[in-house]
Amino acid sequence: MAMMLDDGEASDADLIGRARDGDRAAFGALVERHYDFVHRLAWRWSGDRTNAEDIAQDVCVRMGRSIRAYRGDGSFTTWLYALTLNAVRDMARKAARETVKAQAYGVEMLAMAGPDSAADEQLEALWHAVRRLPDKQRDAVLLVYGEGLAHGAAAEVMAISEATVSWHIHEAKKRLKVLVRQAGEV
Amino acid sequence: MVDDKELRRLGGMDAPRASPQARVQALHAAMQAFDAQEEFSAAPQGMAARHRLTDRARKLWRDMMQKKLIAAPALAGLVALPIAGYTALYLVQGSPFTSARHDTPPAEAPAGEAARERAEMKTEALENAVREDAAETEMAAPQAPSPASADMPAARPAPHLQKQMGREGTVSLQQRSIMVHPAPEPFVPAQPNRDKVGSFDSNPVRSAAEQPVSTFSVDVDTASYAYVRRSLNQGVLPQPDTVRVEEMVNYFPYAWKGPESAETPFNADVTVMPAPWNGEHRLMHVAIKGYDVQPAEKPKANLVFLVDVSGSMNEPDKLPLLQSAFRMLVNRLEADDTVSIVTYAGEAGTVLEPTKASDKAKILAAIDGLQAGGSTAGEAGIREAYRLAKQSFVGGGVNRVMLATDGDFNVGQTDDGDLKRLIEGERKAGIFLSVLGFGRGNLNDSMMQTIAQNGNGTAAYIDTLAEAEKVLVQESASTLFPIAKDVKIQIEFNPQKVSEYRLIGYETRALAREDFNNDRVDAGDIGSGHSVTAIYEITPKGAAQQIDPLRYGEASSDNGGVANADEYAFVKIRYKLPDEDTSKLITRPVTAADEVASFAAAGEDQRFSVAVAAFGQKLREEGELAGFGYDRIQQMASESRGADPFGYRAEFLSLVRLAEALSGRN
Repeated sequence: MAMMLDDGEASDADLIGRARDGDRAAFGALVERHYDFVHRLAWRWSGDRTNAEDIAQDVCVRMGRSIRAYRGDGSFTTWLYALTLNAVRDMARKAARETVKAQAYGVEMLAMAGPDSAADEQLEALWHAVRRLPDKQRDAVLLVYGEGLAHGAAAEVMAISEATVSWHIHEAKKRLKVLVRQAGEV
Repeated sequence: MVDDKELRRLGGMDAPRASPQARVQALHAAMQAFDAQEEFSAAPQGMAARHRLTDRARKLWRDMMQKKLIAAPALAGLVALPIAGYTALYLVQGSPFTSARHDTPPAEAPAGEAARERAEMKTEALENAVREDAAETEMAAPQAPSPASADMPAARPAPHLQKQMGREGTVSLQQRSIMVHPAPEPFVPAQPNRDKVGSFDSNPVRSAAEQPVSTFSVDVDTASYAYVRRSLNQGVLPQPDTVRVEEMVNYFPYAWKGPESAETPFNADVTVMPAPWNGEHRLMHVAIKGYDVQPAEKPKANLVFLVDVSGSMNEPDKLPLLQSAFRMLVNRLEADDTVSIVTYAGEAGTVLEPTKASDKAKILAAIDGLQAGGSTAGEAGIREAYRLAKQSFVGGGVNRVMLATDGDFNVGQTDDGDLKRLIEGERKAGIFLSVLGFGRGNLNDSMMQTIAQNGNGTAAYIDTLAEAEKVLVQESASTLFPIAKDVKIQIEFNPQKVSEYRLIGYETRALAREDFNNDRVDAGDIGSGHSVTAIYEITPKGAAQQIDPLRYGEASSDNGGVANADEYAFVKIRYKLPDEDTSKLITRPVTAADEVASFAAAGEDQRFSVAVAAFGQKLREEGELAGFGYDRIQQMASESRGADPFGYRAEFLSLVRLAEALSGRN
């Protein structure tokens, strides 16, 4: 793994082991090393700079809280995917809560800030469509196509069966067709 | 246009780099969390004596708050924790009180103020609920779990029970997810815009020598069939987990022989016939028919329609369909019956105060006036509905809340545990709850099942007006007038005659053997005229077995000499009359007299129900039917079609053809 070479000295497994025993420095190095990976995921899932940073921070906090309980039976990356996906979901829920609160006072909330400008508009449209998918479908599509995971690996991250991942992807494609067509019409 | 190539480009999308401040902040926060965790784990040793009380109180408080913060919030499109998630939480925590686990630390949980206020307001109620919960758990601890109680798994997390655990088939899935998943994030919250369906494993083949007794609760729900139909009509084979074989079988009306008087609420008919898909095996077909309440005895009805009018209901197959369905039902009511309507969306509102059915025009006008809009506030809605039901409570009559929704209770009582307790409480007070599911895409099937089972009601999925007519009008008598509650079936197989057996369907209704005689364990209802069918596939003694016989076990069963050695099995049915708390027992041996020589010799309805069971198993991709094609199912069904006055069986045939075509394509 490329990441292992970054520091040159300690492998992920090594750092994880030390962090679990309470080694602050090891934990710090571990977070530092994976922060960009987490942030990239958060950005891909949320499509928004501020949210991505918030989510990434949330994931870091979760790592700090739970690294001692991480048993290392799956790959560390799988664990990070799962932590990040959960953080994304909590964030969405929090955002929705805010929206209702705003509505209760008759205040219209501004929609989430638009995405950062991107060179490829068509790709951006596809991203948009993907983010509008139901959670499971979106997660499956992003893990498989965005992150290039095999269906089996995505299944592990999402804690569902491989067949169900394939099914979500299948459903997502059908839905994307509709979403993309709608976007084209507007 | 959206193909793999296109999608793969998603991988090429660059994310902007995080700003340096954000990065530093995040790392800092991570270290703080890391350190905090250290103190946390170290604290109990050094500081226990001094701080124990306050710590406990604070912890309890925080746990409650957090459970609320996590559970209370979700809104339109976002979803309640499924009951299984709640269960999983309990499993992980061991005990709900003493856990130090927290998913949302106060520091990073700036939940909306509204949510916080709500949490505070509810804390007291929650405390009570938690206490009740504890009491229940304690009381029930020596018993095995009820299929409907989510609290039970906490008391009995024995792995072999997972499969039998009741409608929350998701539990086993959730538990598995805990293993694979990082421990601190044990429950993956349910998905917003996806139909939520609990997954479960099909019943395995069991050896009659080792486990001679099979126990389950009756199930008269039909939601699964309608769901399968909708899926097939849209050109997609249903997801195997959405197929509950028993619900498909029980969807169809059968002319089983009923009892003569209301004193014995039902009659059980048993037929043993060769299994069409396996020449060596036989099917033991148990048909139970409820007593048909004569119109003269029809009790007065007090119905509260609880209608979800959230924005998502604004689709042709949802609110308009629901309005037509309720119109039909109202036309069918007696002048003395009472109807009220409550809507929920954003905030709950009473559209129609309790009104006599004689004032039909007013009721119909209220139904026509329903409009979709807003998000869903299920909790307030259901409380209001129960309030109205109490207001016009009919002693000795039918008091029922009929919830129509396309999804979830999204605002407020999103904690399925609380919801379940509320519904259970009202059930004890005599108000039952039925759930009608509409539309597709957001349907929370597992929640529907949970609440219908806890409310002594039925869950039905309504996709067409014809289905609405079937559920609400033709079957309204059975859905509305329960003649027996907590109906459980226990079958003991005779190892002398039967070496193996497999119950087809009822996976989510399985009960523990000792639950059968425990009147506190909740089970399904049977309404007026209802029929319930259960089918076992049995391997007669001497035929090829899947499970090797026990080398040493064999001797013991021969030793004492078995009484009634000629019987196949012994069927026991336990039930309570609707207004009684003590159960009664009906028993019946299954003997050679119940056996027919060939499948063709079995009754028409028996053969048709077997065809439906075969279809359901086929859709669930069960190995037993691997060599048995859709064409054979079609043949079986068309030969046993009978009069079919409402065209249900004709429709079934067209579904089998659709499934055949769809499966051939893949």
